Amino acid sequence: MKLLKQSLWAIAFMIPIGLFAQKEIVIEPANITMDVGEKKQLTAYVTEDGKRLDDKVRLFSRARKSLFIDSTLTATAYLPGTFQVIAIAAGKRKNFEVVVNYPPITEVKIDAIPNKIYAGTPVALNFKVMDKAGLTRDDVTVEFSSKNEKIARVDNFGNIMTLSTGKTTVTAKAGDVENTIRLNVVKNPIARIELSADGDAARTGDVFHFTAKAVDAKGNEVADAPIIYSFNGRADDVSSSASGLIKQDGRFVADKAGIYTVTASCGVASAQKTLRIVPRNVSRKIEQVGHGSVNDKHTSDFWIWEGQDGRDYAVTGTWGADGTAYFWDVTDPASIVKIDSVQVDARTVNDVKVSEDGNITIISREGASNRKNGLVILDSSNPRDVKILSRFDDRLTGGVHNVFIDKGYVYALSGGQKYYIINIKDPKNPFIVSKFELDTPGHAIHDVWIEDGIAYSSNWSDGVQLVDIGNGIAGGSPENPKQFASYAYPSGANHAAFPFRNGSTGKFYVIAGDEIFPYGLDMNGPNMAGGFLHFIDFTKMDEPEEIARFEIPFAGSHNYWVDGETLYVAFYNGGVRVVDISGELMGDLLAQGREIAFIRPSDPNGYIPNSPFTWGAQVHKGHVFYSDWNSGLWSAKVEPEKPKGTKIESK
Amino acid sequence: MKRFKNGIYAVILMAMSATATAQDYYIYVTAESDDEVAVVKFDGKTAETIKRIPVGVWPAENEGPHGITVGPEGKYWYLSMAHGNPYGTLYKYETGTDKLVGSTQLGLFPASMQISSATGLLYCVNFNLHGDMVPSTVSVVDPETMTELEQITTGAMPHGSRLSADGMKHYSVAMMSGELFEIDALDLKVSRALNLDEAAKAPMEMDHSKMDHSKMDHGAPKQDHSQMDHSKMDHSKMGHEGMKHSAFKPTWVSPHPSKDVVYVAGNGQAQVLEVDTKSWKVTRKFDTDKGPYNIDISPDGKYMVVSYKTAAKTGIWDLDTGKELARLDNSQKVTHGVAISSDSRYAFVSVEGIQDDPGMMDVFDLKTLKKVATAELGKQAGGIAFWKAED
Repeated sequence: MKLLKQSLWAIAFMIPIGLFAQKEIVIEPANITMDVGEKKQLTAYVTEDGKRLDDKVRLFSRARKSLFIDSTLTATAYLPGTFQVIAIAAGKRKNFEVVVNYPPITEVKIDAIPNKIYAGTPVALNFKVMDKAGLTRDDVTVEFSSKNEKIARVDNFGNIMTLSTGKTTVTAKAGDVENTIRLNVVKNPIARIELSADGDAARTGDVFHFTAKAVDAKGNEVADAPIIYSFNGRADDVSSSASGLIKQDGRFVADKAGIYTVTASCGVASAQKTLRIVPRNVSRKIEQVGHGSVNDKHTSDFWIWEGQDGRDYAVTGTWGADGTAYFWDVTDPASIVKIDSVQVDARTVNDVKVSEDGNITIISREGASNRKNGLVILDSSNPRDVKILSRFDDRLTGGVHNVFIDKGYVYALSGGQKYYIINIKDPKNPFIVSKFELDTPGHAIHDVWIEDGIAYSSNWSDGVQLVDIGNGIAGGSPENPKQFASYAYPSGANHAAFPFRNGSTGKFYVIAGDEIFPYGLDMNGPNMAGGFLHFIDFTKMDEPEEIARFEIPFAGSHNYWVDGETLYVAFYNGGVRVVDISGELMGDLLAQGREIAFIRPSDPNGYIPNSPFTWGAQVHKGHVFYSDWNSGLWSAKVEPEKPKGTKIESK
Repeated sequence: MKRFKNGIYAVILMAMSATATAQDYYIYVTAESDDEVAVVKFDGKTAETIKRIPVGVWPAENEGPHGITVGPEGKYWYLSMAHGNPYGTLYKYETGTDKLVGSTQLGLFPASMQISSATGLLYCVNFNLHGDMVPSTVSVVDPETMTELEQITTGAMPHGSRLSADGMKHYSVAMMSGELFEIDALDLKVSRALNLDEAAKAPMEMDHSKMDHSKMDHGAPKQDHSQMDHSKMDHSKMGHEGMKHSAFKPTWVSPHPSKDVVYVAGNGQAQVLEVDTKSWKVTRKFDTDKGPYNIDISPDGKYMVVSYKTAAKTGIWDLDTGKELARLDNSQKVTHGVAISSDSRYAFVSVEGIQDDPGMMDVFDLKTLKKVATAELGKQAGGIAFWKAED
C-alpha cells in the first residue's frame, strides 16, 4: 500500500509539469533606471510559452517611501538607491530591481563664520552636501583645502586652525562641486584667560560652574573670543579613570575621586583650575523588613496608603493570571498581612491606584473574557472588605494598562494610544469628560502620572508630554487638557515619567524611564531588562535639556518614586536602587557614586524561584515598599542618613 | 486531456482516503494571555500538547498572539501579535522547528489572516479593538520578504477573514460596522461591501445562480469600488465616534471550497448567513446557539462547523440539507476558533476559558458527531490553524 501511495504521489507531482505550460512575468523595460522625482510608466504582463496573456500583474515596491508603484504600474521615484520590486500575477511572482540614480551634487553648504577670526583660534565649519533633488547627502566625501596654509590649515572634518594674520580662503569640494569661504584672520588681542569657579573642592557628582573670560593686555574683555573648556585628571584609585563631564557653558562634574584640572582655552591662551574631588560617600545599609508573598502568580503594580482608620494598607495587582487584586495591612512593615482580595474578569490587573482619601481604588483590566477590559472602581474605605462599585469600559475595550486618580478624575490609558479623563465623583456612574492623544504617526503611550495639576505621560518615541489639567500654566483642565511642553530622546523607549523639583537648587526635572528587553524572553526562568533613567531639566519649559542618566548595567528601569531628594527605582532584575539626587544633576549618576543602596528581592519559593524582577517602589512612613513580579510585596528600611557637614578629607 | 486529469485525481483521492485511518494530526493554537503557541498532536484518540513555543519579546508585557495560519506549502506558520507600540506585528516561523525567521509591523491589533494560493500574499485584518469605532484596515504582506505592501481600509473592527478557494477574492467582516467586504486579491481594492444588518433583515433570495446577471438592468447606477481609491479617504471628519454598533455583529466569514458562497457568523444575532458571492445576496440563514463566532468549512464542502462563543458549544451543520447535525458542549467557557482537518474528518476547536483557566482544544469527530478528545493549552486559547496529517 505504501508503495502504491508513493507511486501515486509521484504521478501527482509530475502532472503539473507535463500538463501545464510555463508562465512567465515579463517586465518592460528589462532594466529600469529612474531619476529622483521622475514618474515612469512600467509595463508588466504574463506570457505562456512566449505568448502574451491578459492576466493582470501588480507591482509592489518593498520601499514605498523611496519608490512607489501605483495600481496603474506608474512608478514614482522619491529617493535614490536600488530598490526591490515584487511582481505578482495569479500563480506567479517575480522579483526585480529598479535603480534610482543619485542626483548630481549641486552645492556644499557652509554656515557663516565670524567676520574676523583671532589668529591661533580654531573654527569648526558646519557644512552639508546638497544634491539636485534638494536632498542632504551624507554619502559623499568632502575634501577641504586651504589656499594659504601659512595663514590657516584645515583638516578632513572641516576644522580650521588659524596660524597667522591675513586673508585666505578655504574650499570644500564634493565631487565636481565646491564652495569657498573667505577667512579674515586678525591679530589676536587675547593676552590671557581668567577662569573662576564656584569652588575648588567637592564630592563626586557635585556640579561646578566655571566662568572664563578672555582679556587683552589692558585687561579689557574680548567678548567674542571662542573659549573651549576641557579637563584632565588623575583618579585616587589608580585602577580608575578620572572621568567626568564638561559642558561648553562651563559646567563640570567629576565621576571619581581624584585631582582634576579644568582648562579654558582660546588659541594659545589658556587658564587652568585644579579641583579636589572626594568620594560622595552616600552609601548606606538597606535591610529587608517584611514580605507579603504571592507565589502562585505574577505580581504587578501596587500602592500604599493610610486608611481612614489610621492604619496603613497596600493593594497589589496580578499579571497574566486570574484577575485578582490583593489588599494588605502593612501597618507593621515587618508583618505584611493579606486582608482581602477582589477578582474581576481579567487575566492581568496591571495597575492599581488609590484616591487621595483612600476610599476609592481603581484596578485596570486586560485579558477580559468578553474583551471589554476597561477598569473597575472599588470602594476601599474598609480595605478588609473591599467592594466593587462599578465597571467602566466605554472606549477602553482595547485594555487599560495604566491609570492615575487625581481630584475625582481617573486618567486611564486606552489601547496604548491615548488616555481618557473620566469623572468618578459619583463612582457608580463614571463618565468620560475628555481625552489626550497625540497626532504623530504611530503615536503610542504607556503611562500617565499626575502631580500639581500636570499630567506627565510617557509616549515611547514621542517622549514625555506635559499636559496642564488644572495647574494653570497653560489654562488646561480635566475637561480641556492642554499640552504645553515635551521632550523625546532617540531610543524612543520612554515608558514612565516622574516630576522632581529640587528644593536646594530650584531645578525642575522630569525623570523619564525606559523599558527595554534586549536580552530576549524566558517565561519560565530569570529575565534581564535594559534601559535607564533620563533626567530632563525642564526648568526652562521650552528648552528642556537631557542632562543626566542613571543606568544599572544588565538591568532595566521600570517604575519609581521620589521622596525628598532621594530616588527609589525598581530596576527589574536589578531590584530596588536608592539614589541620591540632591543638588544639581549632570552626567552619569551611578559613576558618580550617587547610589545609596540596593536590595534584590529573591525568594526561593517565588513564582519563578530566586528571580528578582522588581516592578515598582514607593516610600511610606520611612519604609520603602516594592512589588516584585515573581514574589509579591516587600518592605525594606534604609539606615538613617549620615550627619551632614562631614569634613571633606584632604589627600 | 481533461478527462485524463480528472481520472488521475480520482485515483489519487481514492488512494488517499483509503489510507486516511490511523493518522496523526497536528494543529497550532495560540494562547493569547500566555504569549505562547502550542503544537497539539491528535492521534485519532488522544489530543496532546507536544510543544509550547514562547512568542513575543517583552517578558512583562502581554503581547497577545491572536491569529495564526499555516502557509499553503506548509513550510511556515504565521502569527499575528495583537499588541505593540501601538502597532501589532506579524511573525513568520518555520513549521516543525518553530524557528522564528522574520517579522513585520502591521496595523492596530492584527488578527485573522490567510495566504492566497494565487497571489502568494498574506492578508491580515487589523482588528483595532481599541475602543473607538473607526474604520480599520486589511494589511497585505509579501510573506517571502515579510514586507507590508498595502493597507486597505474597510470597516470598524474587522475580525474574521478568509480567501476564496481560488485565492483571488478576500472576504472580511467588520464587527462593529456590520459589513462584509470583498477585496480583489490582486487589485488590493474593496470591490464590494454588504450591509449585514440590512441583509440579515431582508427576505432570502431565490437561487439566482443560473441567471445571467450581466444582462439585467438593475436601474441604478453601478458603483465600481475597484476604481475607488479608499486609501485617500479622509476618515477623520466622518464623526465615527457616533458610528453605529452593528446588531448583527459579524465576527467571521468563511468561503465554501467549491461553491460561490460565503458563510458569515452573526455573533450578535445567533445566526449564520450564507451569502451568494455572485448575486451578493443572502441565500440561506442558519439559526444558531448564542454567540456564533468562528466558522470553518470542511475541505469536502459538506460540513460547516461553528463555534458558539457565548453558549460554550460547537455546532456542526450539514451544508447540503442546511440542518444542524449536532450542537455539542465544549469543555469550558468561551469557545473561540475552528479548524477542520484536511481529510474533513475532525474539527479542532479552541476554547479560551476565563481568568486563569487553562485554554483547551476540543476535537470533534464529524462522522460520529461526538467530542473525542481535549488538549490543555495556555491561557485564552484562540487562533487555531491545522498544520498537517501524517501516518
